[in-house]
Amino acid sequence: MKMKKLTAVLLTAMMTISMAGCGSASQGTSQESTADSAPKQEQPAETASATETAEQASGPVELTVTTTFAGEDSNAQNYKNAVADWEAATGNTVSDTSATSDETFKTRIITDFETGSEPDVLFFFNGADANDFVNAGKVVSIDEIRSEFPDYASNMNDDLIAASPADGVKYAVPVNGYWEAMFVNTEVLDAAGVAMPGADYTWDQFLEDCQKIKDAGYAPIAAALGNIPHYWWEFAIFNQQTPDNHLDIPTSADDATGSQWVAGLEDIKDLYERGYFPDNTLSATDDETFAMFTDGKAAFLLDGSWKVGGIVGSCQSDPDDPATLDADKLSHFDVTYFPGKGNRRTTDMIGGLSMGYYITTKAWEDPDKKAAAVSFVSHMTSDEVVPLFAQHTASALKNAPVVDESRFNALQVKAMSMMSGVTSLTGAVQDLFNGDCRVSTFDGMPDIVVGNVSAADAVQEGIDVYEDTLE
Amino acid sequence: MTDGADAPPVIILKGVTMSNIYKSRKYVILFLAPAFLFLIVYLYYPFFVNIYGSFRQIKNLGSYGTRWNDPLLENYIKLFTDPVVFTSLKNTFFMIIATIFGQVGIALVLSLLVDNIERGTQFFRTVYFFPIVISATALGLLFNLIFLYDKGMLNQFLELFGKADLTDWKGEKLAIFTMVLPVVWQYVGFYFVILETGLNNISQELYESAAIDGATRLQRVFYISIPLLRNVICTCMTLGVTGALKVFDLPWTMFPKGMPLKETFLTGTYMYYQTMEAKNVDYGSTLAILIVVLGVIISKVTRSVFRESEDI
Amino acid sequence: MKRNKTGLALLYMILTAWALTTIYPLFWVLENSFKAKDKILQQSFALPVGELFTLANYKRAFERLDIVHAYINSIFISTCVTIGVMILAGLASFALVRFDFRLKKFCHTMVIAAMMFPVFSTIIPVYTMETSWHITNTSSWGLNMLSVILPQVAGNISFAIIVLMGYVQSLPLELEEAAHLEGCSIPQIFVRIIVPLGKPSFVTVAIFSFLWSYNDLFTQMFFLRRPEMQAITRLLNELTSKEGTNYGLMASAVTLVIIPVIVVYIFLQKYIIKGMTAGAVKG
Repeated sequence: MKMKKLTAVLLTAMMTISMAGCGSASQGTSQESTADSAPKQEQPAETASATETAEQASGPVELTVTTTFAGEDSNAQNYKNAVADWEAATGNTVSDTSATSDETFKTRIITDFETGSEPDVLFFFNGADANDFVNAGKVVSIDEIRSEFPDYASNMNDDLIAASPADGVKYAVPVNGYWEAMFVNTEVLDAAGVAMPGADYTWDQFLEDCQKIKDAGYAPIAAALGNIPHYWWEFAIFNQQTPDNHLDIPTSADDATGSQWVAGLEDIKDLYERGYFPDNTLSATDDETFAMFTDGKAAFLLDGSWKVGGIVGSCQSDPDDPATLDADKLSHFDVTYFPGKGNRRTTDMIGGLSMGYYITTKAWEDPDKKAAAVSFVSHMTSDEVVPLFAQHTASALKNAPVVDESRFNALQVKAMSMMSGVTSLTGAVQDLFNGDCRVSTFDGMPDIVVGNVSAADAVQEGIDVYEDTLE
Repeated sequence: MTDGADAPPVIILKGVTMSNIYKSRKYVILFLAPAFLFLIVYLYYPFFVNIYGSFRQIKNLGSYGTRWNDPLLENYIKLFTDPVVFTSLKNTFFMIIATIFGQVGIALVLSLLVDNIERGTQFFRTVYFFPIVISATALGLLFNLIFLYDKGMLNQFLELFGKADLTDWKGEKLAIFTMVLPVVWQYVGFYFVILETGLNNISQELYESAAIDGATRLQRVFYISIPLLRNVICTCMTLGVTGALKVFDLPWTMFPKGMPLKETFLTGTYMYYQTMEAKNVDYGSTLAILIVVLGVIISKVTRSVFRESEDI
Repeated sequence: MKRNKTGLALLYMILTAWALTTIYPLFWVLENSFKAKDKILQQSFALPVGELFTLANYKRAFERLDIVHAYINSIFISTCVTIGVMILAGLASFALVRFDFRLKKFCHTMVIAAMMFPVFSTIIPVYTMETSWHITNTSSWGLNMLSVILPQVAGNISFAIIVLMGYVQSLPLELEEAAHLEGCSIPQIFVRIIVPLGKPSFVTVAIFSFLWSYNDLFTQMFFLRRPEMQAITRLLNELTSKEGTNYGLMASAVTLVIIPVIVVYIFLQKYIIKGMTAGAVKG
């Protein structure tokens, strides 16, 4: 029930953004909201000055900060700019240890907490990945921070701040949301004589189209099952379910949820056997199959909102310089919903606010760093900064500012129009079923699709690990 | 450095009579203590900690877990039933075989050939050796580009000869080959230089007198060069076998997670995978023990098989 | 000796063929580092001249990667490792060969057995240990460097001891005895006789320790996390995960990492090759 409410609020928040976005492009309706949001611009400034005074007493501080805004992440540059602004405004410095988010990154973060070398501020997942350090009391809850800094995250809609699955307490202040959807290379579709899928796209149509694309000599689906099967895993399972029960975790491979999971994995196996994945899907890296997609050799790419930046980058002769964008090439890319099956509507999406800023107990208990950490997070989650990061995804801001669509490229605009048709937004169950639980069905995906291991056995193995972790 | 070269040349402590100036206990301790402190703190202590860790339930690197495994021998049972352990052992043995025949074999042939030429020896020595000085990471990236499916150097090369479809060098059929080849390639030069030096130490007079007796070039190779090189070849074999057990960087750069289908794991890469990617740290520790035990056994066996003969 | 012309030609052909396998890949990566990504995938054999030629990869490599810092860190780490290994292994090998003591055989076995510990088999406890000393993941540059230097010294020390033992054994004892009669103390013997006479062996150990440390990705991967502390191999690895398909950038980064090593190798090859074989093959 709780989840449902959250979804609803989140959805409304998202709609506001995209509606406002559309509005500003076409008519003058958004004039009001522009005016509306104008006074709010001053709010972050106030917060900043308030915290600044708090700091003057303690002198400049060095904060260690770890985020995932690094490498290819669309927000890497936004992050750098925002940090530089904060440093300039406060005189403090940030020692940044951000890295690209992957399993190794998560392992290292958990290890840091384990060994007492955690950063002062951390931008991390708010799902089960954080359970270890939440349980160990190594991060400070938002409520506790508010007891001393009442304005902390006051610009956020509290209903949208996810509570930790470990203890139901809210720790992480979210910035930008994410969604997962299917990117399409329309050039390949045209060549294969396939129409651009829409909001009523079904699994059977999808299979039919894949066959046409394959017959035309292209790879229907760009995916490296041996490297990153995450998105296929999530949606194939979602397709057996509805938004209401997607976040259930099975207790055995043959209970209701368990058999849905098995059926989902078998759908992937079916696609593999039909030859809809690239020939080297088991030996390629995700980068390689992504390159197939952008090079016009594969039609569909199931991925997350962060990939928009990567696709746009591939259309620029200098990936760092938006001015070199080849708009014509970009116009061949589109994004749409994952084909629906059974009770899941095509427009039911996976997404949400899965990450946020944590302040660690270590920083909180350090009188020199306490105020600086709060000031830093306040700056990074201010009404000014968040929209830069959120773009076409959701944010938890109470007053979502108007998005100026003219600043966006064609793919971002398409993403927004897709978001405006979403009927539900559900979190990813893999964020709850995390870490070593997933090994048997993630890293084991190649074994499942070639038939070395049955899907049921792999699911059961993961559940066993999960139950083991709960003990 | 984990590849190949750093295995022990066999040194036999001969009964050298010690001079009476070297008696002082004080200096023994003073000289040995620092080095052994390193060995103990960084190699032996961790080894025993690994044994402890292999019985614990450890989810995250950096701690030793909160409880014992249940059953206590869980990891060891898993070790014997895990098919991937079997694959990685099989691959490691394959790597050893490839080292013996590939690295040492090719090096032997090349050094015998070089022994028969007069000009350019220095050039070949320089050129053959230099893959060794390059980091395995850089070589891994280089080979990734060469073996790239769509379309690296090799597939472009085959295309020149009219091959239309792409060869998946990292696919199921060729993966092992693609993994072993660069490792073999990198260290041929190392053994080449050792063997070549060995050949240079064989006196020219032996060859000349054999030539006078009417021995052909080939006969000279089989009856003089190879027998006299026996000890050097044995050293190379020992170095090669122990080196093969430590290969890590190149396979890991080229085949992360044992792709495809966990078929390219070596004992070392599998241990890293379990520790860092699958987050099964205690199982990783167990694999680390397996690696050391395997290393000790294999090097013992190798040394008795390739024992240097004293009668030269 | 008579020589068969065709036979000789065949010899050179085979030898040259192998030489090509070692030279060509490096040349290939060098030439492709001057091409744009899509050209690498289409015309990787063409020389980068005219239209094909671009310096964009290098420009981007220098912009995106803090190569200068990485070089400084790498060289600092490797130099410290080299010095540490030489001193510790020199002293230990001297004591192990020359002195007579009860645990000598045991110590020798310990050194040999230590060679059987690959870095990856000890990394878990070492990581935990160093973290508890608070020398990893701190903002202090020195401590971070130290956290890599220490395990690398440990990893190289047994090989060095074995090589240097081979050398000390080959020294005539008379020299040291004569020095002793002239009143040299044992440390003086070590400094005035063992070290100067063993220069080539020490140089070998130095070169190998340096190279291995410079090329060692594994330890760096665990201990060097902050961007400003990365060493060159680590940077290269990071690059692959960040820009997996930017083949042009990758080619240029590989070139940038390899070039200094090749240059050093060409200048020092006499020592590297000779010294190394002296360690491995006696006589």
